[in-house]
Amino acid sequence: MRKFIVRRVAYLILTYWAFITILFLIFRVTPGDPTTLYIPEGMSQAERQATLERYGLTDPLYVQYVDYLRMLLSGDLGTSYRYNAPVWDVLTTKFWNTIFLMAGAMTIAYTFGIAFGAYIGWLRGTAKEKYGMVLALIARSSPEFWIGIVLLSIFVFQLGWFPWGGIREIGAEAPASFFDRYVNWGFVYHLVLPVLTGAIYYMAQPILLMRSSMISVLNTDYIEIKKAEGLSNYTILYKHAARNSILPMVTVVALVAGLSVGGSLVIETVFSWPGMGREMVESVHHNDYPMAQGAFFLMGSVVIFMNFIADIAYAFLDPRVRYE
Amino acid sequence: MLEISDLEVRYDTEHGEVHAVNGLSVDLAENETLGLVGESGCGKTTTAKSLIRLLESNCTIAGGSVELDGRDLTDLSLKELKREVRWSEISMIPQNAMNGFDPVYTVGEQIVEVVQAHESDTSKGEARERARELFEKLGIDGDRIDDYPHQFSGGMAQRAMVALALALDPKVILADEPTTALDVVIQDRLLDVIQDLQDEMDVAMLLITHDMSVVSERCDNIAVMYGGRIVEYADAETIIKSPRHPYTLGLRNSFPDITEDSQDLISIPGAPPTLVDPDEMCQFAPRCPFAEEECWEVAPEPVEYGDGHRVECHRADEVEYLRSEAEKHETWTELESTETDDELTETEVKND
Repeated sequence: MRKFIVRRVAYLILTYWAFITILFLIFRVTPGDPTTLYIPEGMSQAERQATLERYGLTDPLYVQYVDYLRMLLSGDLGTSYRYNAPVWDVLTTKFWNTIFLMAGAMTIAYTFGIAFGAYIGWLRGTAKEKYGMVLALIARSSPEFWIGIVLLSIFVFQLGWFPWGGIREIGAEAPASFFDRYVNWGFVYHLVLPVLTGAIYYMAQPILLMRSSMISVLNTDYIEIKKAEGLSNYTILYKHAARNSILPMVTVVALVAGLSVGGSLVIETVFSWPGMGREMVESVHHNDYPMAQGAFFLMGSVVIFMNFIADIAYAFLDPRVRYE
Repeated sequence: MLEISDLEVRYDTEHGEVHAVNGLSVDLAENETLGLVGESGCGKTTTAKSLIRLLESNCTIAGGSVELDGRDLTDLSLKELKREVRWSEISMIPQNAMNGFDPVYTVGEQIVEVVQAHESDTSKGEARERARELFEKLGIDGDRIDDYPHQFSGGMAQRAMVALALALDPKVILADEPTTALDVVIQDRLLDVIQDLQDEMDVAMLLITHDMSVVSERCDNIAVMYGGRIVEYADAETIIKSPRHPYTLGLRNSFPDITEDSQDLISIPGAPPTLVDPDEMCQFAPRCPFAEEECWEVAPEPVEYGDGHRVECHRADEVEYLRSEAEKHETWTELESTETDDELTETEVKND
């Protein structure tokens, strides 16, 4: 097991290095240099040269690369052109806004989706399974914005139970401390509908995946043996069938969790939620390259890290992986 | 001890009702090994599984009884069956042991699980001790109960499966082709171990196989199954040396005999019946070289030929003729060429 983890850590480092190198190269091969985008027109050639030098853009590529690595290691993502503030500071706020939204939605979607998918897989061929499938497929084929709008029109415009969007009362100043910002009823109140929208939309995948995984596990010899052993349905369903069916889910959960750090542009737009998704799109619109690069960096880091976690989790869940 | 009488098991399919087991009767005595042989799809596995009602949702026991020590298992509720019969009285060994264990738990954990599910007063430690003893009886190192299924070789896994099957000291083991996945040497050793334990623990076994050499060596009695019925039943020696049913004769032809020169195997032409709403007739008639008009119209009743030798064939009396003809290649190949004629006769007979 230790050997397994050591090897995975080595892979992690290698993958991570490849990722930040590619990230570096992508932003170097994009057409134009920052001066064409961000420096005001009418700037003289000498001024332009000076700006490029100030940002180190006249150095050879390998010097830039070393600088880039050094800055990343010290946690410096550069300065946003648009905000004129460190990328890191801007991103952390957006990052946490997104994390609360997406973690809420994903937790509900995957906990409920896995349990429900296992259950309807177990009930294969019955009427209950058909209705369950219909529900899952409705959720699957409803676009996020549509779910969002439906929820808005019911719970906001008809019933008036929840606010229409944003993360706090309109006009309210964002509290400085992390704790004050997120741990209060006002925030939860604003969080409910966006989370629900995400939960409904993301639930379909775990339901369908878990169901098909469950059906193939239920056809195995060992499930038949467990039945022949006279074990209770509950034991067979959760201890054996679901336990084996959940294995392919681990990879999906890790991947989705990583990607969800990028936020959901649609949900964030419908509910005016200041998260990563909107930020990333706007950065690209405004050619705010450090900001976009920082956002990609954060997202990629989480994806890689979650995959690492998934590998380790897999080894705990499936002994066959451990002994490879 | 185990008495199966007139058992009927049916599958409800879109093509109609499949009579997979169609009035089957056979007994199993204590410590006996009964071989159930026949082609794929003749209902062997369905018969075995119906004893503990381990059936697909579209499959039901439509009639007959299965009595275990006088108690009719078909009358029990599923709950009673689970608690009092499955594994504690009747356990099973699957075809491929590798797939018979849940891959994410150790073999020991799975033995402990079934022991504790049935014996609430047995502690985990005692159950583990029992698993260890069983392993050692089967010639596996006791410490290996903490290994995962994938760490065993095929033969070892099959032994571990036998240990699991014996964990609750059952009266009957249903072994569904337990050795087909193994090579001949391992197969033989495994069967030796099973036989020893069977005697020691007094367990009867229903051995399902299409390997004639295994049944002839290992079984006390053999039941030949065709079309959901037992067409011939006798002690192993009689079935191998002096069968009466044309199907058994054909079956025997299709296995090589190393003591004889003739290596030309004769197979039975045609395919087993689908058993969808079967007509009242001998189910083997369409493939039987000796079928007469009567065979197409009347299902034969079992006839005893002394010493429990039971045959369901209208022409079983003409045994000498059947045997001598069945040995000839032409008998079976001629049938193949006249198959279209047979179908004609079949429709003619129906029209009459």
